[in-house]
Amino acid sequence: MSSTRRLPSRFAELPAAATATMLLWISRTCSGLLVAYPLLVAIKASGLVSGPGADSVLFEPGSQLLLELLRVGLPLLSAGLHVTLLLWVLSGLLGLVPLAFAFDLLLAPGRSFGERLWKAVRLFPRLLGASTITLLAQLAVLLGCSLCAAILKSALQGRDPRWLDLSPLLMTGIGLLLCAWVGNLLDLARAALVERALDVRQALLVALTCLREQPWAVLLGSYPSVAGAALGYLSAAWLVSGLDLSGGSTRPIAIAFIAHQLAVLFAIAWRVRWLKTALELSGNTQVASSLR
Amino acid sequence: MPSMRRVHQDLLIGSACLLLSLFPARALLQPSLASGKAEVTSTRGPQPAPPVASVEPVASYVIQAKLDTEQHRIFGHETIRFANHSAAPLNELWFHLYLNAFKNDKTLFLRSPFGAGRSGNKAHQYGYVDVKKLTVVGGDGKDLWLERDHHSPDDPHDETDLRVPLPTPLEPGRTLELELEFEDQLPEIVERTGYAGSFHFVAQWFPKLARLEPDGRFAHFAFHPQSEFYADFGDYDVTLDVPQAFRVGATGQRVESSAEKGRQKLRYRAASVHDFAWTTWDRFETRSERIAGTEVSVLYPPHEERNAAAELASVRFALPHFNRLYGPYPYPTLTIVHPPDAADNAGGMEYPTLITTGGPWYSTWGGGHFIDIVTVHELGHQWFYGLLASNEHAWPFLDEGLNSYAEAEALETQYGPGSVFRGFGLSLSSTALNRVISAARGGDEAVAQGAAEFATFRSLGALVYSRTAIVLGTLARVYGTQRVTQALTAYTRQFRFAHPSASDFASVMQAELGPEASQVMRNALFDRGTVDYLVRDISNAPVTSAAGVFDLPTGREQKKPEPPRPATSFSSRVVVYRHGTLELPVDVELGFEDGSKQRRHWDGRGFTVSLDNVGPSKLASVNVDPEQKILLDDDRSNNWLSSEGARAPRATERLLYGAQVLLGVLGP
Repeated sequence: MSSTRRLPSRFAELPAAATATMLLWISRTCSGLLVAYPLLVAIKASGLVSGPGADSVLFEPGSQLLLELLRVGLPLLSAGLHVTLLLWVLSGLLGLVPLAFAFDLLLAPGRSFGERLWKAVRLFPRLLGASTITLLAQLAVLLGCSLCAAILKSALQGRDPRWLDLSPLLMTGIGLLLCAWVGNLLDLARAALVERALDVRQALLVALTCLREQPWAVLLGSYPSVAGAALGYLSAAWLVSGLDLSGGSTRPIAIAFIAHQLAVLFAIAWRVRWLKTALELSGNTQVASSLR
Repeated sequence: MPSMRRVHQDLLIGSACLLLSLFPARALLQPSLASGKAEVTSTRGPQPAPPVASVEPVASYVIQAKLDTEQHRIFGHETIRFANHSAAPLNELWFHLYLNAFKNDKTLFLRSPFGAGRSGNKAHQYGYVDVKKLTVVGGDGKDLWLERDHHSPDDPHDETDLRVPLPTPLEPGRTLELELEFEDQLPEIVERTGYAGSFHFVAQWFPKLARLEPDGRFAHFAFHPQSEFYADFGDYDVTLDVPQAFRVGATGQRVESSAEKGRQKLRYRAASVHDFAWTTWDRFETRSERIAGTEVSVLYPPHEERNAAAELASVRFALPHFNRLYGPYPYPTLTIVHPPDAADNAGGMEYPTLITTGGPWYSTWGGGHFIDIVTVHELGHQWFYGLLASNEHAWPFLDEGLNSYAEAEALETQYGPGSVFRGFGLSLSSTALNRVISAARGGDEAVAQGAAEFATFRSLGALVYSRTAIVLGTLARVYGTQRVTQALTAYTRQFRFAHPSASDFASVMQAELGPEASQVMRNALFDRGTVDYLVRDISNAPVTSAAGVFDLPTGREQKKPEPPRPATSFSSRVVVYRHGTLELPVDVELGFEDGSKQRRHWDGRGFTVSLDNVGPSKLASVNVDPEQKILLDDDRSNNWLSSEGARAPRATERLLYGAQVLLGVLGP
């Protein structure tokens, strides 16, 4: 009881963005552990990591035992992967709660933990509805792009094979960019949902109005967040790819863990910055003013 | 508009992040590029007597061929000079007309239930060869073709293996000259032969004599979808007539060329070879380079300069490497053909002095050595097929299997453990890839059997290519790389320009490797031999002085059990088992709780061995074959035990991070 009382005051001491970043990192780490667990069990059950070198053998140059893991442990890994995918979808859904929590933190720093949690849980169905509609829109975009890719490919038949091979990639890139833009709209709708407890239709209307009023701010708003994440992930990959995990030392594991978690934190910090922008953008629309 | 200002500010910061991210991205790629230039530390082979440079021709061909690039037809005239080098008089000749394999859906090649051959494609436009006339030069002009059998033996639907009776027997040591007129209709590319648009790859295209064995029998066989070829050495003199705008690559050396009325005639000569293939296309680009005394040319599609450069780079390393190990490449030219994407079925094949590679234009991107793999593999066939012209139908492992070992050895000498792929902190070796493919098929079938006897081409692929390489790889790791290299060197020198059989290979191996290693090899290749080492239980017991009643010479003595106290000495035992029929010596590493280790050696005889130890510390772990020398070990997951059980801190870290990134990219 006393701990729940102390929590809001501690949260209040931290800057809202830092608290939101930490919250999302903890949430993603817990979800990550959950998602990774079935595959980890499959790897352990394969017998290949039961030796004196534990799983260092999987990282030996040449990857002889990594391939052996795929061969011997394929049925286990396959079953593990199915459970992992299921847990990934569930984690994605449950991840809406900490996201709403983070939005609320950025919006009103003074509230208690319990109040925020209750609000996040209360908003969950509406957040889920907005996410579903957006997901369907993204699927439609990807389907359209794949149709365009097929048409482009048949039009390029007999031409330079490089264009033939690159055209689906190009269309996939365009599709992903469009999906990212739809994702930006979703974040605006989520911001509106959390800020003013609108219904899904009203929240999406706010997002679309925002796009009409400030198109560049909406379309390019999350670009720094993506670039920041790319910087973090690539830097971590550069650092970690030079580590030798095939030895018995635990130091490379620790370095890899720290580098990877810093990269994840960095990416989340950039996302929180975008969420804050989304709150400001959605709050400034005319529709939002009329709904206020 | 404060939010707009924030967006602008963020855009600037974001761009800076992206620019910064380029640095590590480039650095990320760098190790893979750098590692591609691994130090070359090839094993130096022995220095035997100078190898043979050519061979007495048995079946020589003079061919004039005119290609109609619109109809994809070839009009040919052929003269065969054939010497009966056998000990018996010949009453008949056997001709291989392998283009007829693509004549209709009932041929042996096309009617196979899986619908396709080695290349995986079925014919869409059919192809065939019509022999118009066959006469003996200096004879009475009688058309011998009229008296041919009309189909392959016992196969009324196949016309790829035909017998022609001779009017008079050809005595041993005598020579016969034959003249033929023939017309080819090329199929749309199938099994490395045919056309795709204006690209033509012309192989197995002329009426060709089957190989005459020393006992006077012809080694003839219909074109089976899983099989390759077998022929006598001879000299080839081939004049090709193609449109002037087309570039040509062919077996042998171009010795003459002339042009007239929009067409060109190109004459090629190749001595001491056993086949002739050629290609022509009006869009070929070319590059040439002199490597180890050989003029190497690459013919490649437009915009694929990177692939061509990679192919030349592979040959720059592999040609001198193979020269050193398996005897010098004896021909003045080597032509590499990289077919266009539309004709990828022409890729990955070997002919004398001409090889085909393949792969899309982006093959050299991303850390994979796929171009190197196919180039080095096909180049290796210039020895294991070209110079050692074994019967590929009867013993496919002699060319594909030995060549797969040679390819893996060369690639790993050049690129180390990343010989297949290196990137993202991972490396993948040819040996690891061959091992996993080989282990998946294990002892399903014998490796050393005829191509047509394999249940499927997948089985042939796994056993002939990968398992042979793994058998030799195991022998090299267990008995010494130098010994296996020397054995292969001896084999390639002894049977250069010859037609070695499986028993020839086994004899050389026995002489060079000794009885123990050669027995393992025979068992693994001929008798479906397998092996799996496994360890089951670790037991530890404290050492205490014996208690009980003892009748000693001095009288009965009763010793009481010692009171319980911390043990200072332990008796440990572990049992190692060997499943399967291959008896390979193996090392066993014992690890103790105090961190000390012991190495024990088991000669592999018998099916089990108990390893005992008495010492101050408990036995904590066992690792059978810690250096992973026995690549043939069917299952490596049972090779060790540890008191700590399964631990995966590295995998946990990687999986957690992977899941976090995935949730970040595709999560809310």
